[in-house]
Amino acid sequence: MKVILNTGTSVIQAFYEKKGSTLKDEYRQAAAVAFMDINDMKKLSLNPRDKIKIKSDWGEVVVFVDKSHDAPHEGMIFLPKGPWANIVISPETYCCNVPTYKGVTAEISKTDEDVLLVSELMNKVYGKYNLKAEQLSDRPVYKKMGE
Amino acid sequence: MEYILKNGVVFDPKNDVNGEETDIFIRDNKIVDKVSSDAKVLDVSGKLVMPGGVDLHSHIAGPKLSIGRLYRPEDIRKGVRAAPKDEVSGFEAGFSLPTCPTIGYRYTKMGYTTVTEAAVPPLEAKHAHEEINSIPNLDIPTLTLFGNNWFMLKYVKENRLDDLTLFISKWLKLAKGYGIKIVNPCGSEAWGWGKNVDGLDDPEPHWGVTGREVITSLTKVNERLGLPHSVHVHTNDLGHPGNYETTLETFDCVKDIKKNKNVDRNQIMHCTHIQFHAYKGTSWRDVSSGATELIDYINKHDHLTCDIGQITFDETTTMTADAPMEYDLFRLTGLKWANKDIEVETASGLIPSIYSSRAPVSVLQWAVGLEFFMGVRDPWKIALTTDSPNGGPFIRYPKIISWLMSNEKLQDMLDNEVHNWATNRTDLGTYNREYTWDEIAILTRASTSKILGLEDRGHLGVGAKADVSVYDIDVNDFDPTLKSNSSVIEEKLLNSKYTIKDGQILVKDSKIVKLVKSNHIWCNVQGLEKYEKTLEKRIKPEFNKYYTIKYENYGVNDHYVEPETRINIKYGGESFENN
Amino acid sequence: MEKPITDYDEVVRNCSCSYCGNNCDDITYLLKDKEIVGVRHACRIGASKIINDKDQRLLNPMVRNSEGILEETTWDIALDKTAELLYNSVRPVLYGWGETSVEAIKKGIKIAEITGSVIDNQSTICHGSSIQAFQNVGHPVMTLGEVKNRADVIIYVGTNPMDDHPRHLSRYTTFPEGFFRRNGRKDRTIITLDPKYTNTAKVSDEWIQFNMNEDYLLFNALRMLLKGEKLDEKEIAGVPIERLENLVETMKNAEYGALFFGLGVSQTLAKQKNVDVLIQLVEDLNNYSKWSMLPMRGFFNVSGFNIALTSETGYPYGVDFSRGYPRFMVGETTTIDLLNRREPDFFMAVSADPGVQFPGYTIQHLVNIPTIQIDTHWGPYTELSDIVLPSTRVGVETEGTAYRMDSIPLFMKKVIDKPENCHSDEWILTRLYERLEQLKQMEDE
Repeated sequence: MKVILNTGTSVIQAFYEKKGSTLKDEYRQAAAVAFMDINDMKKLSLNPRDKIKIKSDWGEVVVFVDKSHDAPHEGMIFLPKGPWANIVISPETYCCNVPTYKGVTAEISKTDEDVLLVSELMNKVYGKYNLKAEQLSDRPVYKKMGE
Repeated sequence: MEYILKNGVVFDPKNDVNGEETDIFIRDNKIVDKVSSDAKVLDVSGKLVMPGGVDLHSHIAGPKLSIGRLYRPEDIRKGVRAAPKDEVSGFEAGFSLPTCPTIGYRYTKMGYTTVTEAAVPPLEAKHAHEEINSIPNLDIPTLTLFGNNWFMLKYVKENRLDDLTLFISKWLKLAKGYGIKIVNPCGSEAWGWGKNVDGLDDPEPHWGVTGREVITSLTKVNERLGLPHSVHVHTNDLGHPGNYETTLETFDCVKDIKKNKNVDRNQIMHCTHIQFHAYKGTSWRDVSSGATELIDYINKHDHLTCDIGQITFDETTTMTADAPMEYDLFRLTGLKWANKDIEVETASGLIPSIYSSRAPVSVLQWAVGLEFFMGVRDPWKIALTTDSPNGGPFIRYPKIISWLMSNEKLQDMLDNEVHNWATNRTDLGTYNREYTWDEIAILTRASTSKILGLEDRGHLGVGAKADVSVYDIDVNDFDPTLKSNSSVIEEKLLNSKYTIKDGQILVKDSKIVKLVKSNHIWCNVQGLEKYEKTLEKRIKPEFNKYYTIKYENYGVNDHYVEPETRINIKYGGESFENN
Repeated sequence: MEKPITDYDEVVRNCSCSYCGNNCDDITYLLKDKEIVGVRHACRIGASKIINDKDQRLLNPMVRNSEGILEETTWDIALDKTAELLYNSVRPVLYGWGETSVEAIKKGIKIAEITGSVIDNQSTICHGSSIQAFQNVGHPVMTLGEVKNRADVIIYVGTNPMDDHPRHLSRYTTFPEGFFRRNGRKDRTIITLDPKYTNTAKVSDEWIQFNMNEDYLLFNALRMLLKGEKLDEKEIAGVPIERLENLVETMKNAEYGALFFGLGVSQTLAKQKNVDVLIQLVEDLNNYSKWSMLPMRGFFNVSGFNIALTSETGYPYGVDFSRGYPRFMVGETTTIDLLNRREPDFFMAVSADPGVQFPGYTIQHLVNIPTIQIDTHWGPYTELSDIVLPSTRVGVETEGTAYRMDSIPLFMKKVIDKPENCHSDEWILTRLYERLEQLKQMEDE
């Protein structure tokens, strides 16, 4: 299904982000969620906490879905800002320095794939250090001094 | 450290030294009458020597400047210069809105050592003091805005002058302010509703208080407290044709108030940028100069002083707490308008202004400013300002001086350069006065210090602050009245040979050789603390209701004003025991 | 309902919150054994930031080892390495600054100058477009107390403060008693313009829903109606003309009107052009009544960065020192554009997480260049950082100056001790500056 994707702040996502809990499941539960109009959810036979894959010109990402409290807004989905949303939003600034966080066209479909935790997501999507699965966790993984 | 400035031609009007070739002795941060044989000799034979420059009205720090810079990058781009390799100063940026360091560099090079920031809202005083910490090399008193403050309006309305006295005393401590600034009293409050007041006796719509009541009440309080500076007034109706009558009424409204007996200054009121308040007529079509009437009043009375607010034919930025006037300008010119209303205290506005020598109104304003320079006989009653950056940026002071010193130059401008309104609608053409170096030293040093009440500067007498400027002009071989020399005057006064502040050489041969932190000058009234406490207790509930920050977080913390010159004033006015 | 905290031994009042641009300065911290155990008056988000997640706190400097794992190290080693990388880069970017003090920001500006860096803050991804609009057409703003005391009509456009700035309505604008609005909420009309039925729309007197990406059209229509022009369409941006006419009437008849706008305006299709028209609308309204506006700034000191940078360099954000003097050119010297062009060869984020904030395509360049993090908590950007320097929290463990969204300066207190081996941003940047000076001196000799 074609949708317009908007991103922005949500209370609960900001709560965990500001608290500093971004590695944890509670942040994933808060930020990796597409909020949809109930009618759109019906069209794709989605129930709250089901998963969708969002594809845009810039990438694809798997997130949970939930019912929007700001409806009606058929054809538009809202994704809290964060590492998941970043993958699909547009970097285009039109030479005006602000990338396009809102009004990005995307395609969504139901999926069974996993919604990744932050450490897994960053490692898989960007692959800067190509870490192994056991080096990725919902807690900081690092080598202590003298270990 | 000791220095001898040897064989300079010294102009020190306060001490009646008028172009005499004499030595100046400096020990540490003071002028002294002799130094030891270890003193370093600076040979300034024949060169122009004056006390360090003192500016009594300029806009150099605080929220107005920040808004200006934020919304006018085109002005910043006009003044960009990379850091000079052979100086200790950094890059410069900005023309009418220079960056903080740039302000310090440019004033220092002009030989100025004290500059007054003329309008600080207490709520944002931390901002002003923070910026002062980024401006090098100056002593900076700040004037605190009171002319539309709600507590002030309430006390004036209820005729509670005791409370007003305590309020001012306390609020100067909170804002770390030096004196009382009044801007378009009641008008900026009326702007809270998109309105203005019309003249001195038009009551503000809600408070029912008039500009006259505000000015007279604050003048009484100022004299009761014995603050070193008088009230500093930007009168109602700025920039409106016909406003000279309001200005005359304002001059006159305080004349019977008694000056505090302990202060050094002569005036009980300083009227600022008088040029903007001296127009006759009913519109910009039939406008003409009202300077002659005002000059006549100034010449006949001793209770007031003025600075000019000279126009300099630049594209500059106007900024003032007189926000309704800025909106008028916006409707007139359509240039981009900025406005900032500040809760409980004031409003403010900005707009770019393009003063052109071909535009009739600009030229009229230019000529009106010069009329004051020419017409006011006693230079101790006036001060050279451009209300920087409103009439033009402060780096134009030397240019103005070149106009004042050469009748030939001025006449040439009238004949060949400027629109004919200068001669048709003002009396400028009737003067043929030429300023001497001694009079220039008064306008830029001696009178400004005296008006401000800063007795330790603006002169080179023994015990004065060792603030000295030397210019590369061979006074006795140089004719400033020649038109051909006016560009030389400008160039030499922009780039001092020496600028010495507190006995430290900051500029040598037009190069900045030292940077020091600027000094925050503020007034601390002593003896009323007990009563201020009870006032504070009464004010706090209202404060916390109508401001959006807590009273506890309002004052400027001490660490923002390091280094400081705290001027302690022993309260000697009427008793508060009955309060 | 969470239980009220009763087990505490010290109360510290009038602290400043370090979450959003409201900078609420009436916060009470409850302490037990010198640790914060409770927070009063703050919103949920502010409280969460003050209480914070201790097990994700960055506690020691770290450098990536050969396996790509972050490894703890000494401050000297971490700072030396950072200084060397920065000193030897040709196109460094120093980004972030929204959640640190002005004192630290000023150190950052010094570093940018001596290293020829670009220094930029979150304006570049948020209200930079609003600042451009101010530069285009004007800047009619106010402090929040003006709204509290005077406003009878308040409009929120493309912003949802009930979620993003939770106490905006309750402490500053809508609900409190004001000097001329003794009955608080009852004396005011609140209107929200938003494509979505946000929590702010829910507490407003009126919600005007308009079509996504049609802001520019909508605001222009309002301006035309205000000027008395007739519009032929039945609806504009999905809003029936009659509703727009009523809105214009309400605005014209306000005694004091305040308009707040958010990223819903400055980040949608026409970006700064949307804000241009909105400013012009406010300017026009001043012909009839009194109107002011304010962007809803996000981080608690994003405004302070703009102010400090203009004080020091003249420009508000995106300042490029590569030529030794400051330059500012939107789209040229701004972070996202630089990264999209794959230009930078060094990237340092101070109190900001690009992993949370930047588009993926932009982030991809951070994979190829040295990356430094100065921050308090482990976040997505830590996963991309080569060197991590742990810092302290302003307003909790470190004092410092911040500027509210309306540019009121506040001095934020230090209340509790910092974790032992963490240092304030100001401390870290001062040490970094000293090292850079030394490197410069060595090269000069």
